[in-house]
Amino acid sequence: MMRRSASVEPPIATDDTTRVPDHTQERGFERVVLPHLSAGFTLARYLTENAQDAEDAVQDAIVRAMRYFHTLRGDDARPWFLTIVRRVCLTSYSADYQARENSLSVDEPALQLIDSDETPDTALQRSFVRDRVRAAVDQLPPPLREAIVLRELQGCSYGEIAMITDAPIGTVMSRLSRARERLAALLQGVVDMGDVA
Amino acid sequence: MSDETTDRPDLSTALRDALPTYEAPPTLSAWATEQARRFDSESRGESARVPERKRATTFSVARWQIAAALVCAAALGWAGATLRTVTHRISATDQTASALLDTHIRSLLPGHLIDVQSSDRHTVKPWFAGRIDISPPVMDLASKGFPLIGGRLDYVQGHSAAAIVYGRRLHMINLFVWRAVPGEQAVASTVRDGYAILHWTTGDLSYWAVTDAAPADLDAFRAAYLEQASPPASR
Repeated sequence: MMRRSASVEPPIATDDTTRVPDHTQERGFERVVLPHLSAGFTLARYLTENAQDAEDAVQDAIVRAMRYFHTLRGDDARPWFLTIVRRVCLTSYSADYQARENSLSVDEPALQLIDSDETPDTALQRSFVRDRVRAAVDQLPPPLREAIVLRELQGCSYGEIAMITDAPIGTVMSRLSRARERLAALLQGVVDMGDVA
Repeated sequence: MSDETTDRPDLSTALRDALPTYEAPPTLSAWATEQARRFDSESRGESARVPERKRATTFSVARWQIAAALVCAAALGWAGATLRTVTHRISATDQTASALLDTHIRSLLPGHLIDVQSSDRHTVKPWFAGRIDISPPVMDLASKGFPLIGGRLDYVQGHSAAAIVYGRRLHMINLFVWRAVPGEQAVASTVRDGYAILHWTTGDLSYWAVTDAAPADLDAFRAAYLEQASPPASR
């Protein structure tokens, strides 16, 4: 509990004494951080598993991000903001995260025809695949699920995932690889896995 | 890293197709935009002042202080969580809590928050003398993340109350103090309409802290307040 509380500390610029002047702060919080609001909300949504907690967590994260805005360097605030969102989620809303390791309830999107040529039959097939994929992702342990969500949904680089999840890059790579192996095993016959399995 | 270039496209496609991404809800976006604009205009107006960090002399000191504050916060959070186990619930019909909530919300209206504005406890504490028949302890808790903002005289449920105002990030904490009634519940808390209320007593004083910050912040606040009131010998 104590350790988790302490980990709320947002990422602080690496070496403050040698920091170079940077125009991040001049550009302002709104322009630097707010473009990543939905990315933060999506991550929070997956970590907290419900919309209200996700909204609360992102609010907390915004407040925290303002407080530490002066430590942000460089143009890309996204991994920085996602790091804060994740820490808030794990610290304040982690009872669920820890207790319900294996559930990932996401809103059921309405059955959608992706393009006009698609017939209801193939739409049904897509829906079936979606259900299976989601169920498979549900079964991943949280660290693996988190890594795969950051990689596939948020398009984060390995380095960014390492920063956001506070893990060495080797660990990130091994988590992603294990996540893919597990998904491959769970989704045999559903999704073309190429050379994975 | 070679793995990065040989992503299995089929699995990726399946995942992106199956797992939704979410747009931030409009209420959240609106709130964040408003906060960001306020933050940006304040930053420009007051030489990049960051909430709660008023006197950052050099960066290394600031960083050290952040670390120290976080360690304290963690310890206090721990203490708070422990204390929490003996915390009573304030009943939903408790009229004091309702009255305090009204007072808290009214205090947030422009011009209502404080009568004496100072982050110096030696200014705020004497201000209450002669205005109310108790002498509420006024602590400087800025190092714990609760900067003193000022004080106010208020009137709650038929008696005068000293209201001491602290900041918590961008939130306000109103700490109401008045003379305790014998037999009051020791520690009690509730969350009402999104506002957290925490009540405790020490000696003959009754404390009610009200905030729109998180309930855990009030636990930390109380712990910091009590620690400051009776500092450990080592400090």
